[in-house]
Amino acid sequence: MKELERRDFAKQTLKWGGVLSLLTVLNPPRAALGAGPGGGNPLKALQKNPFLQRDDLQDALKSLYMTYDSTSPYPHKFNDVISKGQLECLEFIVSKGLEKEYVDHYVTTMKPILMRVKQMVKKEGSDKALHGMFEGTTCSYQLMERIDVKQGERAFPCPYKPALERCKKWLPNRFVMEWKDVCNKWCIPTWQGFSNVIGVKIAIQPGETCIVKLA
Amino acid sequence: MNRNNKPLSKDVRDSLKACDDISRRNFAKKLLGIGALSSLTVSIVPEAALAWLDGGFSQREDLADAIKVLVKTYSDTKPYPHKFNDALVKMHLRNLDFAVRKGIWKERAEHYVWTLGVVVDRHIKKGIEMFGKDAFLWGNFERTSCSYQLYEHIEIKDGERSVPCPFKPILDQIQKGMGTYQITWDDVHNKWCIPVWSGFAKNVGVKIKVEPGEICRVKVL
Repeated sequence: MKELERRDFAKQTLKWGGVLSLLTVLNPPRAALGAGPGGGNPLKALQKNPFLQRDDLQDALKSLYMTYDSTSPYPHKFNDVISKGQLECLEFIVSKGLEKEYVDHYVTTMKPILMRVKQMVKKEGSDKALHGMFEGTTCSYQLMERIDVKQGERAFPCPYKPALERCKKWLPNRFVMEWKDVCNKWCIPTWQGFSNVIGVKIAIQPGETCIVKLA
Repeated sequence: MNRNNKPLSKDVRDSLKACDDISRRNFAKKLLGIGALSSLTVSIVPEAALAWLDGGFSQREDLADAIKVLVKTYSDTKPYPHKFNDALVKMHLRNLDFAVRKGIWKERAEHYVWTLGVVVDRHIKKGIEMFGKDAFLWGNFERTSCSYQLYEHIEIKDGERSVPCPFKPILDQIQKGMGTYQITWDDVHNKWCIPVWSGFAKNVGVKIKVEPGEICRVKVL
């Protein structure tokens, strides 16, 4: 029945030939032509897709393969080194009592970017602040395994809890810091510092799934 | 049963074959031996050395997240083409900039060496005793996620590793886009990479020579 209907529709469309079919072709729904990077032109979709234009994917795939093929003593993930590296540095910084200055340095050196985010917030609303702090920057989306995006809220699995447990287990006596130190001396003050520069207020609920909301 | 005494599983053999395929081959060949000594060699390999490319890739259930991040990263081409190591490189640079400003870069590098030295002492020392100095480079480069998640590729020669410097292009971008860091590329060599590699080498009694550059070379002497 469906085939017949399609056939009928095709006949009807084609039998007019000339002007009407030409109009049909010239005015297809945007979705049918692909509304992605081709800007609605399917002939340009491939050339304008930034991912498909990359010629350095093989290195990335090899690193990914090496990471995910290393499953012992624990399954490695793409954010393995960045989370451990951040913890190692934070342990050093906390041991010297420099955590406040360390956070201030991060916020200060990020100011030019944060000011751009502030401009976007003015134009497009406060959610852009969360976008700029989370899914809009490699520093977050390469750190958090996934980011759940809701209007005015972002949630993600804490990358530091499992990493700190492994550091304590496999590098004995090297980590004194507790998970709550990571929340209270790093994540919370950093995000609060960012949001202050951007000019929005946020509320943070630390946990295995950490939630950051516009307040 | 101690895993060290077990013969190599097919999975491990296959994954080491994969390792060969991606040109990280010299040490793996030595490690797995081709010839009479291979079974003996394999039976005394430290456990951790086998816990690498262990064939678990196809069993992973978390690949979707990884692939999504990969696609997101490589679709992110403005203001420059981002790579898988972007955030990691930025973290190292930010930490170094802070340490240099505070005048604690030497202690910072020593802390890193002291922290990860546990692994170096536990595994790489044994590797050097069994297989020679190249095991030091193997352990510091292609064997550890700390390196293969940082360097885009690692060229392996016996007694030498070469890597494209991941820090220069990102530091250039930071200085161009924000201009908020005080460190220079020389600081990255002299106050981070060289002290860290030299610290690890000293721990295991190996001497190395580092030739920093856009392609950085590390050789055992």
